[in-house]
Amino acid sequence: MNKSKSTKRSMRSIINNDITVGYLFAAPFIIGFLGFTIIPMLTSVYYSLTDYNLVIKEQWVGFSNYFRLFSDERFLKSVRVTLIYVFTSVPLKLAFALIVAYLLTRKSNMVSFYRTIYYLPSLIGGSIAVAIVWKELFATKGLINSIIVQLGGTKVSWFGDQKFAMIPLIIMSVWQFGSSMIIFAAGLKEIPATYYEAAKIDGAGKLQSFIKITLPCLSPIILYNLVMQTISAFMAFTQAFVITKGGPNDATNFYALYVYNQAFKYYDMGYASAMSWVMLMVMSVITFIIFKTSNFWVFEEAGS
Amino acid sequence: MGMKWKGRISAICYHGFILIIGLIMIYPILWMLSGSLKNNTEILNGSLNLIPPAWRWENYVTGFRGFGGIGFDVYFKNSFRITIIATAATVISSACVAYSFSRVKYCGRSIWFTAMLCTMMIPSQIILIPQYILYNRLGVVGTIIPLVLPHFFGQAFFIYQMMQFMKGIPRELDEAARIDGCSKYSIFARIVLPLLKPSLITTIIIQFYWKWDDFMGPLIYLNKPQSYPVSIAIKLFADASSTTDYGAMFAMSTLSLVPVFLIFLFLNNYLVDGVSTSGLKG
Amino acid sequence: MKKVVALILSSAMILGLASCGAPKSSSDSTVNQADGSADVTTAVNTSGGSEEVVKIRVAWWGSQTRHDATVKVIEMYEEQNPNVDIEYEFYDFEGYLTKLNTLVASNTVWDVFQLGGNFPTYMNKIVTVDEYIADGTIDVSNASESFLKTTNWNGQQIALASGVNTWGITYDPAIFAAAEAAEPTENWTWEDYKKACLIIHEKLGIYGSSKMDDFVSGATMGVAQEGFGVNFFALSNDKLGFDDPGMLVDYFQMRKDLVDAGAYPDPGAIAEIKDIEGDYLVKGEAAMTFVGSNQMPTMAAAAGRELKLATIPRKKADGPSGATIQSSQMFCISKDSKAPDEAAKFINYFLNDEEANRILNGERGVPIMSNIREMLLVDADEVKRNMYEYVDLVGSFKIGDVNLIDAKGKTEIEDQYKLYMDQVIYEEKTPTEAAQAIYDFAANKFQ
Repeated sequence: MNKSKSTKRSMRSIINNDITVGYLFAAPFIIGFLGFTIIPMLTSVYYSLTDYNLVIKEQWVGFSNYFRLFSDERFLKSVRVTLIYVFTSVPLKLAFALIVAYLLTRKSNMVSFYRTIYYLPSLIGGSIAVAIVWKELFATKGLINSIIVQLGGTKVSWFGDQKFAMIPLIIMSVWQFGSSMIIFAAGLKEIPATYYEAAKIDGAGKLQSFIKITLPCLSPIILYNLVMQTISAFMAFTQAFVITKGGPNDATNFYALYVYNQAFKYYDMGYASAMSWVMLMVMSVITFIIFKTSNFWVFEEAGS
Repeated sequence: MGMKWKGRISAICYHGFILIIGLIMIYPILWMLSGSLKNNTEILNGSLNLIPPAWRWENYVTGFRGFGGIGFDVYFKNSFRITIIATAATVISSACVAYSFSRVKYCGRSIWFTAMLCTMMIPSQIILIPQYILYNRLGVVGTIIPLVLPHFFGQAFFIYQMMQFMKGIPRELDEAARIDGCSKYSIFARIVLPLLKPSLITTIIIQFYWKWDDFMGPLIYLNKPQSYPVSIAIKLFADASSTTDYGAMFAMSTLSLVPVFLIFLFLNNYLVDGVSTSGLKG
Repeated sequence: MKKVVALILSSAMILGLASCGAPKSSSDSTVNQADGSADVTTAVNTSGGSEEVVKIRVAWWGSQTRHDATVKVIEMYEEQNPNVDIEYEFYDFEGYLTKLNTLVASNTVWDVFQLGGNFPTYMNKIVTVDEYIADGTIDVSNASESFLKTTNWNGQQIALASGVNTWGITYDPAIFAAAEAAEPTENWTWEDYKKACLIIHEKLGIYGSSKMDDFVSGATMGVAQEGFGVNFFALSNDKLGFDDPGMLVDYFQMRKDLVDAGAYPDPGAIAEIKDIEGDYLVKGEAAMTFVGSNQMPTMAAAAGRELKLATIPRKKADGPSGATIQSSQMFCISKDSKAPDEAAKFINYFLNDEEANRILNGERGVPIMSNIREMLLVDADEVKRNMYEYVDLVGSFKIGDVNLIDAKGKTEIEDQYKLYMDQVIYEEKTPTEAAQAIYDFAANKFQ
């Protein structure tokens, strides 16, 4: 009798033990990771140390692919181009997303409709059709140039001029701020109205409550959006692939595009893998920096 | 009386401003919609006209015809099947993993968390081939299994997002429940999950349209044209080596937009509704 | 909210179970034969049926027209050969290449697959067809030597071209007349080309020429025009076939001069040309453009007015033309195939059957079988006829041993060449520097 009771208790304590619960709930990820991700990841590390062109058996070359990267003009240019893209488009995107999400918290029947309109670009952003539309809008005879001419300026050869080619792509990315926006909107929902009421009573103006209440409460979400958008900006591919093909003169040769070309167009899988791993390290460093600085500005309500 | 006027003017300014910017935002989409009713010459030369000179509904018919005898009804059916399964799987599995990473302390947790972040930073083109070889050995190439299976194991983007939301759920709630005798399991089911609603909703919306638009996965893993989803079918219209029927392509893109749009519209209301945010309120 | 989640979950489960339960392969396909004619084909493919059913997989890239036509031909073949079940896949060009590479890496390439000039990369995966020709499975009695040569490498017949084409310049005689510029002749040179561009631009304000394929004009053909037997890529395809970078300078210089004069579109204007209908010639904003011969009919149709075909200019009048006919694409048999004999039979049908070719209509290029060509010529219009004549003309030119095949690494060299061309136009490099740079780059690739 006693034995069964104590085994029952120890069973329960095992089940409810933090380690058990933790691993049980994390199991989906862990299994998936070990089963379907780690092996391909390790395989690609292996490929990066070989000369592999898909058809013929790979040959071990050690780190020569990595060394080659640093003297490859096109690679260095693509890193520079990608960094410019990331550091320009991400802050702009987040700023718009936050401002618009905030503007749309005003109580109104139209809010749902507005939110839909602003979200629409994100919904279709990834499609080829939109990329083509964009190309037309920024064409020499396209809408944007017509507007510029009407305002008295001169036509710009957007996709022909290396100075300007990136701009339409940045605009296209910022245009799709919708997904960040709804995440901010969901986060804004979570801020208790009581905070704002209390601030109002204390005489705080709109701007003040935004800075003192909204931003801190949203900070975990801001961190999330910042990390996510940065990573996804680094991996930008489709727009460059469809619209500019990396040109002119490699002005929009994003690194993900260069990787794809090396792997699937030039059949140099080893080199492409090495490139990916180098960029992964760059991204990790930047993400790490973001996380470290976040300790200073992210405010976790769970702790308060 | 003055106060009312002030309120009204500010309301008009507000709505006006939002509407104008909004219209600018969706202009490209309107352009695509109007393009779906034009033919190639009109599209390429008449960029400014939003009103189609001749309403060419036949673009929809040509487009719907699809390729090689398989129409878009088949493609849509395939898209729905893949997308719904993937989305449902993502929501449930990601919530579980997020709970583990953010609410349960155990050794090794930060390692797994870092591993999760790393999986997001590898460009898909590189793992594409090794993963394909793996699935090929398992004999599942040609089915939708490689497309939906990963979603049952959590998706890093959404796990991380849910974790951030969980940070906003006060731990006092967990404490209170624990004192009441709840196990970690029921804390998850009864407290955390309901409060995670906005995050779950955004996950559904975003995962749905990501999967709906995904063409790389289906391209690699599906073999028969009969099993193609809409995303591949639309890409098939734009072949660089010959002419493209832009009208038909825009028509089908417009059609493809509808389900995604409806999902968003429908679920968006849940975001707006008064979702109770604090369990402490009584 | 709970209801929504429950609804989604249950529908997901139902769909999931449904897809697991249904037989994975052919039963779906019967539903979707739009013309209703082919229920015969898939009904036969049951596991363990009494007849020996052979399954082969076929894949190609192309556009809607090609997909529809090819599928019809496949269905016809299945009707005539009920013991054969063909599973087919089709994609756009880039999608096809991505999928092909994935299959190559996993040794599961389709039995019959389409390849273009990039086939050397895939040599390890191709079953040569010499045996099938010898034993008659593939009938080449109607194919001439020169056409067979386009897909012959190192003495082996890799496959047979499903269409051949060659490069040419399409031009609008009306514009030439309006500008009083001399029309291209069979023997015209780059100097003539440049003069014509400048005159037309001066007199009419439009571009003299629209987009040229710079790598072909300046490099592969350009070098071949220096002398018989000289090639950009050596015939053995393991090194460069020339040793004087100076051979590349003139073309860089000419292009820059033309852009500076406004007679040729700048990189921005070039980037805006998406496809045939966007070409400046079609839009009436240029007098000529570079084409592959099989694109000529489409271009003429898009332009809606009379266009003529001329050869690519030469470096010296009466010098080598550097032009050859080449395979635009071909169907190859893969080494992964478990039914190569059946694959060969299908290819034979595809190339020789008259009914099938009536449907295919030479959309992939000029057919190599003379009887098919004659059949198509009967119904061909003026433009198509011109095209066939042009291909014959080019085929008759005296050539040395011109390298028809792409060397490995050609794509990367080509991209690099185009990059340097941009730099010359942006004045970041002089033509001489660019020539040297691309020469070094290309030579390096073969180390």
